[in-house]
Amino acid sequence: MNPAPYEPVSRPIRDDLAAAHRRAWVHIARPGAWWDGRRRVALAAETRNAVACGLCRRRQQALSPAAVAGEHDTLGDLPDNLVEIVHRLRTDPARLTRGWYEGVLRSGVTPEQYVETVGVVAHVVALDTFAQALGIAPLPLPPPAAGAPSGQRPPGARQGPAWVPWVEPEALTETEAGMYPRGRPPANIHRAMSLVPSEVRSFFDLCEHQYLPALGMRDFDREFRAITHAQIELLAARVSALNRCFY
Amino acid sequence: MTGAAAPGGGVAQGDRLIEFAEAVLAGDEARLAPARARLAAALGEDGLVDAAGIVGFFNAIDRIADATGIPLDPERLPSTADLRAELGIDAFLAGRG
Repeated sequence: MNPAPYEPVSRPIRDDLAAAHRRAWVHIARPGAWWDGRRRVALAAETRNAVACGLCRRRQQALSPAAVAGEHDTLGDLPDNLVEIVHRLRTDPARLTRGWYEGVLRSGVTPEQYVETVGVVAHVVALDTFAQALGIAPLPLPPPAAGAPSGQRPPGARQGPAWVPWVEPEALTETEAGMYPRGRPPANIHRAMSLVPSEVRSFFDLCEHQYLPALGMRDFDREFRAITHAQIELLAARVSALNRCFY
Repeated sequence: MTGAAAPGGGVAQGDRLIEFAEAVLAGDEARLAPARARLAAALGEDGLVDAAGIVGFFNAIDRIADATGIPLDPERLPSTADLRAELGIDAFLAGRG
């Protein structure tokens, strides 16, 4: 039998992968830096709900998403500005622009709250797409954990070349220790959510088990999975091309 | 003519992997179910699970890149310069802001 949370699944789920998914779900449910557990679980639920949104579907079919007005089909547990973020991230991420991001900030969402929201959506997409790919039910959302957000902002966070502020490696403090890989500069994708270190740590924990361990990515003398490096990178490239992701 | 590209980019079972990834992202179970079965037959159940993990992970990390507006890493710029110029990708990026 598979380990939790995949006991009922007949396909063999690696122990380390199941454990990573357990940790990811605990992470979703816990208070973050800027949102409490209830808000984070509501963001996760809305991420799932976005797939069936009529407005998002019409926008996807339009030449420009900005050309289609209307209201999102929402579960009703989040303010409109967060619903807009979650739905666009889930259904049309390739056409996000800096202008859209700046509009989000003008609506009252802080960069820190925005990055934490991105982190929650990304975790849910990673696990739900995995489930869909295997033809198994998505994991039930966790009950929110009690507690208040920490309100901790990395003191070294600065505006860089990305839309969102990030933390350069030389600006790390002890609070953000372990956020970046050792022995090499972090790639920009690793810095992307560094305004909220807990999201970086949790998402790249998922990376270690759902993709490859950091040291295994370029170790072509060994294989770490049941599929080869070449097969992994072919999948990764095809998914990113379908998503029209420039990075 | 220099010859046709190998199906699946010359990677073992590449055609099945690509069909699987496309079916997942299309969200079409009628297409995905046979793609899943073909991949499992070719790579085994462990291979299918690992492939599902990769598709899920990259479907997520692409969104982080898109949502945060990160630029290409500096070390990748020289090796992709010709390709970006040929495809006009830099102009597209300018449109994103």
